[in-house]
Amino acid sequence: MSLNYEEMSWSDVRDQFRKWREESGRHSEDVVQLWIAVLEDKVYKTGNERHLILEQVIVAALDTARFDIATKCTKQLSAEFPGSLRVMKFKAMRLEALEQYDAANEVLDAIIEKDETNAAPRKRKIAIMKARGLRLDAIKELNAYLKKFMSDQEAWQELCNLYLAEGEFGKAAFCMEEVLLHNPHSHLIHQRLADIRYTMSGVENIEIARTYYSQAIKLNPHNLRALYGLFLCCSYLANSKAVSLKRKESQKLAQWALEQAMDHTTRHSSINNNDKWIASLDLAFGNLEIKSN
Amino acid sequence: MTELLIDPDIRVWVFLPIVLITFLVGIVRHYVSILISTQKKAEMTQIMDSQAMIRARLLRENGKYLSAQSFSMRKNFFNNEETGYFKTQKRAPVAQNSSAMLTDMVKGNFINVLPMVVIGGWINWMFSGFVTTKVPFPLTLRFKPMLQRGVELASLDAAWVSSASWYFLNVFGLRSIYTLVLGENNHADQTQAQADAMTGAAMTMPQDPKAAFKAEWEALEITEYHNALKNIDADMLSIANEAIAS
Repeated sequence: MSLNYEEMSWSDVRDQFRKWREESGRHSEDVVQLWIAVLEDKVYKTGNERHLILEQVIVAALDTARFDIATKCTKQLSAEFPGSLRVMKFKAMRLEALEQYDAANEVLDAIIEKDETNAAPRKRKIAIMKARGLRLDAIKELNAYLKKFMSDQEAWQELCNLYLAEGEFGKAAFCMEEVLLHNPHSHLIHQRLADIRYTMSGVENIEIARTYYSQAIKLNPHNLRALYGLFLCCSYLANSKAVSLKRKESQKLAQWALEQAMDHTTRHSSINNNDKWIASLDLAFGNLEIKSN
Repeated sequence: MTELLIDPDIRVWVFLPIVLITFLVGIVRHYVSILISTQKKAEMTQIMDSQAMIRARLLRENGKYLSAQSFSMRKNFFNNEETGYFKTQKRAPVAQNSSAMLTDMVKGNFINVLPMVVIGGWINWMFSGFVTTKVPFPLTLRFKPMLQRGVELASLDAAWVSSASWYFLNVFGLRSIYTLVLGENNHADQTQAQADAMTGAAMTMPQDPKAAFKAEWEALEITEYHNALKNIDADMLSIANEAIAS
């Protein structure tokens, strides 16, 4: 992203920050640079929005390891709201970024003790476990969390990723289904669920995968991954022990999916003549085979 | 009837002070209520309940996108006769007249009723018996008790407004001014509080979780599984057939 820092006034920066907040995009480097270049001296002009901007800057500063900025902003906030749990969370996040996990955990525990309905510190604790590589503990803790906060779809998605990393595809599929219930019109979720089902393999799972890939393509015909997934599923089913009619249908569908995928790739690819690339890829894979032998 | 001529001093010392007093009292009420109101803290069980309800509702609405097995698994989790979530979760009925609710009510009365009585009484005593202003349109006799409280003159035209009535008009009419000055959802306007008190909305009890669970259980029980993706394979196939044929 190219932003001209010199020419932006503080109100432009404020609007840009607001846009990022609404899109929940982080843009950490941009945020920190704009903060230093423009907004830091003018922040008092933004009124009540100042606190939101400070929070945004703290997160961005922690992302980019600018602890000086993060500390400064946190101090401003805590001077204004002494004892605020929300500010305490940022202190814990700073400790996290410094990899002082035990200290961060202590702060988070203190927050939970004060307000046990607060979901954010619990999630941070799980994030710490993940950062420490304690994946199984994180899964256990996240399960306990989801028993309490059942409709937290972010948490379901995270649990899905953790299970995938452990290779527990059945459980991962369950979590993804839960996310799908929250947002049934997102092609990406359909496609992800199909990915998991396809990975689980077996005729039944692959048929389910084919259904979800089809739905993903229906919702977004340009989803290349779903097209390729549909091709893989159909060619698997075409070679399975199904009824011959079904096999023929699968064959047809596979052919169509492949054509669509080819169409999309050739239309959007900037490489005109890719024989050279294919040849080098062939060579690379050839080498791989020799090595594996 | 001859026109009345009102002393300009009434404008300066009765008409405007009443507007000012009502307005300032509203502002003070807003800040006092912010000062003494406590933030309601949600209970952990309340949050758990509402989250479970949301999840069950989503299952009812979007369950059609799942496979039959996944759907019945989830339905079973909520509705199983012996182990279902809605069957096993026992919640104590919400205690009525708990001390927290009582203090809330006392506070509400303190902010709403007390100033109303005190300021209203004071205005009545201080500015009683003035004819302050005239509404610019003719009114029928029925409006006399409304607009001429404190001035019982049989021969006075109904369009004239007495000081006590002017106060009440201000109390009820300053709402939009408060919104302008204090923003939406301010506590300055007492008509809103009174309307709440009439309908009982001011003391909304937290929903009884037991009844809510039962309702959700019933709704989920009668939800049948329909596969929304049943026809998707055939659809895709027909698209593919068309593409190949063309």
